[in-house]
Amino acid sequence: MPVTRTAPGIVRVEREAMTLSQRAYLPQILGGMLRTFRHFLRNLFNMKGLPTISYPEVKRVYSERFRGRHILTTREDGTTRCVACYMCSTACPAECITIEAGEDQRTREKFPVRYDIDLLRCIFCGYCVDACPEDAIYMTRDYEMSIDTRARAVVGLRDLVVPPDFPVEPMGWRPYYGKMDKRGTAGGTGIGQPIREAPYKEEMPIPNPDVYRGA
Amino acid sequence: MSTLTRFSAIPYTGPAPTNRNPYVPADVATIDARGAEIAARAGVALEQETGLDLPAFIVAKEAIVPTLRALRDHTEFQFDLPLDLFGVDYPGREQRFDVVYQLYSVKNNERIRLKVRVGETESVPTSVDVYRAFDWFEREVFDMYGVRFEGHPNLRRILTHEMFQGHALRKDYDPAQRWLLSEQGVAKLKPKIDPRFEVEHSDFERVTLNLGPSHPAMHGTLRCAVTLEGETIVGADQEIGYLHRCFEKMSETHTYQQVIPFTDRLNYCSAVINNVGYCMTVEKLLGVAAPERAQHVRLMLSEFYRIADHIVCIGTNLVDLGALTNFWYLFQPREEIIALAESCSGARLLPTYLRIGGLAVDVPADFLSNSQRIVNMLPKYIDEVEALVMKNRIFRDRTEGVGAITKEDALNFGFTGPCLRAAGVPFDVRKASPYLGYETYDWDVPYAEGGDTYARFLVRFEEMRQSIRILQQAIDRGLPSGPVIVDNPYVALPPKEKVYNEMESLIYHFKLIMHGIQPPVGEAYFQVEGGNGEVGFYIVSDGTKNPYRVRVRPPCFPIFEAYGHMIMGQTIPDAIATLGSLNIIAGELDH
Repeated sequence: MPVTRTAPGIVRVEREAMTLSQRAYLPQILGGMLRTFRHFLRNLFNMKGLPTISYPEVKRVYSERFRGRHILTTREDGTTRCVACYMCSTACPAECITIEAGEDQRTREKFPVRYDIDLLRCIFCGYCVDACPEDAIYMTRDYEMSIDTRARAVVGLRDLVVPPDFPVEPMGWRPYYGKMDKRGTAGGTGIGQPIREAPYKEEMPIPNPDVYRGA
Repeated sequence: MSTLTRFSAIPYTGPAPTNRNPYVPADVATIDARGAEIAARAGVALEQETGLDLPAFIVAKEAIVPTLRALRDHTEFQFDLPLDLFGVDYPGREQRFDVVYQLYSVKNNERIRLKVRVGETESVPTSVDVYRAFDWFEREVFDMYGVRFEGHPNLRRILTHEMFQGHALRKDYDPAQRWLLSEQGVAKLKPKIDPRFEVEHSDFERVTLNLGPSHPAMHGTLRCAVTLEGETIVGADQEIGYLHRCFEKMSETHTYQQVIPFTDRLNYCSAVINNVGYCMTVEKLLGVAAPERAQHVRLMLSEFYRIADHIVCIGTNLVDLGALTNFWYLFQPREEIIALAESCSGARLLPTYLRIGGLAVDVPADFLSNSQRIVNMLPKYIDEVEALVMKNRIFRDRTEGVGAITKEDALNFGFTGPCLRAAGVPFDVRKASPYLGYETYDWDVPYAEGGDTYARFLVRFEEMRQSIRILQQAIDRGLPSGPVIVDNPYVALPPKEKVYNEMESLIYHFKLIMHGIQPPVGEAYFQVEGGNGEVGFYIVSDGTKNPYRVRVRPPCFPIFEAYGHMIMGQTIPDAIATLGSLNIIAGELDH
């Protein structure tokens, strides 16, 4: 629509009077139909260029810093890195983390006896990862968290802790870590960029703890 | 990596935390001088409160209505736009409540704040006759604080339900209480019949019909009861609060940093803009400024999200009007915008990307090239949809003259943003009081005459083009180098490498998580231009880690208040077309 400048930095959008062909109603309707039909034909003969994703056959690839389901990492000796310092549960705005601390009789180390995240309360803001001083909690790219009961939304140590050889490096929300390899997005709807190309290497396992365990 | 191997002090030489000291705005002398000037020439008695970020005055509660009227009708000052009215509770004081009025003058581009002090048993005269916008704002203060407004036409609860006990934002209210609403308690809306349609007796029976709250045409959870005579709407009454999430009460029990994810959920169509507003308000209190790089990214994402907001508004409005295709065409670029935000922050709709003092993490390496790609593709989609609808006769017949509001009414109802600009007032916060460096970009504020649904479409389409102009310039300038968050361990978390390796950083990290940011004692208001108007945050700090009071000015609130006025005398399809064009976001409306 045409604009006229009425003052510096201010423009008025003009309302055009309807032309004869617009008033006649049919030419505009046909023009609109033609436009829609052109879209239809283009999509019909170019199915690969469609912006829709056939989930779940094709899964969308998210960026490296995607904030999905949490995991708790482990040290080489198999003990969990978490020292039950309550920093994550303090930082959590949704108050979805419940921790109970215990003491390892042998090493006198503090460790979590209970570590529950209520995924229905969680707002996936990533503050727990920011707060963790032990590199223990990560957020993965796993976003498929469907459950059938409310009780199953509460995930505990059994679901969260991953084995020591679990490949945590390329994934998840990790601000405040200084330089990291920022490969950025693979997202988008596929217009002008290859959608099926992942930002991480093909041979890497899918960063989903359940799949990794063979569940 | 996680063992502490070496002790070294991090090189921080900046100021230590300044809590417990009062907050002093940067240009306090000019503000106070201007306040004295207004007090001297306003023609009414105004007791000035100095040292605040706006010219502020304390007004006796008996004098508030004449004062507001004098300020509105003053030939020189002309405070014609009522921005906000809210309460603050100070239980230790004899008159424990502050009722705060914020006004704006479009002519002079200045804001003032008026405060009325009231005790628990006292009441304030209503100012509905001066500013119609304050009808709902006064109801909100009554609902949240129990302050009664003498002479208010409809003083009942607005955000909470009818069976709610107590007043939620009072400091002595226990937020853990639960109040159940049963069916008997639900108020039956009785739409007030417009005087134009008052008839002694009619042969026709008038029907009252509920539009919403659960209907796809009423975006989100909005409810409007209308009285119909035949097909004409002769009375309307809106009910809100179905999506009330206690944003303001919740903010008082969380730290400053933890409020950021809540602000995302106000206007969830343009979440980053709310983040910017909130973070900049706290930064104003703290006296820190985000680094240049962070400001640049904030500006770019704000503009992207503004476009996304307008896309949602235009797309869904066209769906309501029966033009479904446009929704699909427009959502393609919106998807790209959201994917861009995801590549920065890791979440799509609600990024929570900003932190007080900057950004959570640097943007990805391909941020600018992706932005350029989106900016290149956007005009095609906007032009296409504009060509499809704006010259279409069906569309014009359904939108022109529909839901019209005059310039004076729009101002009196407290409109801001595209809805006000469509009524012919070129007021835009980005131009009027620039932030993030908007003044250095070459762009125009579009406005249109008429105030009807078609004018709102005209303004939104043009605003998207202007946003693209800003974005193109921002991309051409490139991202400034440097950090994305301030180097101040009392505000921002230290980098993780230092937390793992340095004792001091670990202590700062621990202190900031456990004790939070502690701004100086004081109050500050800051406003940004959101997708549908001025988003303002008013924060009172008492020097502790939790805000004493967080007030958000939701632009939708006064706009939806005027909805009943706008649809009077029209038909139901017109009402639906009008609602869509107002861009009411329930998350923000009900805070």
